[in-house]
Amino acid sequence: MSGKRPMKFRILELFLDGNEHWNYEIVSKIQEEYDMRSNFHRDSINFDILELASGGMLKDVEQKVDEDGIYKKGFLLHRYVITDFGKSRGSDACLRYV
Amino acid sequence: MDLKSLKKQESKRKISKGYMWALFCAVFWGIWYLPGTVVWVLNPFDEMYSAIAETGGDGSALIVTAVLITAFNALTVMLALMLWNGVLGKYGELVRTMKEFNPCSKWFFLASIFGGPMAILGSFIAMGFIGGAFAAVAALLYPVVGSVLAYYWYGEKISKRAAIGIGVIILGGITIFGGGLMTELSSGNVQWIGYLGGLMAAAGWGIEGAIAGKGLDISEPDVGLTLRFLGENIIWWIIVVPVLAILGYPMYSFALQAFEPMTLLVLIFAGITFGFCYVCWYKSFPLIGVGRGQGIGNLYGLFAIIFIFLFFGDVPQWSILVGGTLCVIGSFAMITEDTSALETLRGE
Repeated sequence: MSGKRPMKFRILELFLDGNEHWNYEIVSKIQEEYDMRSNFHRDSINFDILELASGGMLKDVEQKVDEDGIYKKGFLLHRYVITDFGKSRGSDACLRYV
Repeated sequence: MDLKSLKKQESKRKISKGYMWALFCAVFWGIWYLPGTVVWVLNPFDEMYSAIAETGGDGSALIVTAVLITAFNALTVMLALMLWNGVLGKYGELVRTMKEFNPCSKWFFLASIFGGPMAILGSFIAMGFIGGAFAAVAALLYPVVGSVLAYYWYGEKISKRAAIGIGVIILGGITIFGGGLMTELSSGNVQWIGYLGGLMAAAGWGIEGAIAGKGLDISEPDVGLTLRFLGENIIWWIIVVPVLAILGYPMYSFALQAFEPMTLLVLIFAGITFGFCYVCWYKSFPLIGVGRGQGIGNLYGLFAIIFIFLFFGDVPQWSILVGGTLCVIGSFAMITEDTSALETLRGE
């Protein structure tokens, strides 16, 4: 993917498929795509997801405990789905050039 | 640990972090009125004021000086934010976001028009003409403008509770402006332009928030705020300051004199406090919600009065104290809404 978009654009784009995604799936995908592998960046990408959720673009639909340490052992994992508002903001921002 | 207690723990952690950010915002914002007030009596700004006042009158002297102060404020805020983004390793994201002009960064540039030449310039004018405490408390009216705009523009909900809060804040605003005006009307010397500055601050910040929200939705706030100040720097240093210089005001000669240690120190202090109050503000929103973040942030009015009292020994007029208290009560009425409603702020 040449000419990367801002991270939140990309996160919304990943959710625009309408499916539910776990935060760790999205975070690790973004970490890989943007080549940002440190724990600091991991948390900062996760904060982006939190911001999108608090802005009403994603909805937290399910939580589970990270027993195996796939993301952060002993912490909560969240599963999100895009909202209608998120779809309209996301397609405004992301799909224009696709 | 089981799911339920972990959820509780997570929300507790989020809330305490969110309140911490919001409180930092209020403290930084309140402190900002110290350098903002002091800078008026420092060289070259006081000399500039009297030099222009001799030929052009007090009114234009004040506004032109306020422009130069605001321009320097924008510059030092930008420096502080660039440093911040450097520490966070976000230069890449900065460039990526800036390139998305149409969906995103245009909102920041638009917001900077209202934030800079309206809100911050108005604040400096109010500080210069009437005083720091008035400037701080007058701007407390901004959530009224912001929430009404957000309601009409993108359907953000205004609950009954928020409406009551807005009403109380407006009462506070009337007290702040009315009390000062009455005293001055009776003495026959009304500093209209200072009151206008206070209104500019409230309206400007309200409009800025509503516009910037469109871009901040889909970008990282650290980056978005930097772009918003980039816009403001362009407005001042590429448009307004050169135009004023062409009109014959001694902008550049005084601007160059700003590079003396004391003035620079105060300007940098203003930049750091102002830059970080914005950063903290936006960090608090996802953690405790925009309403609560802004409500706690509004304690800046109280902090400003306390700091101004501690450092300058100024006791504000009773109308500022009463009005400011009403504004803070009003913002708390807006924030103590039911938590569940705060998870999502917009109508779907």
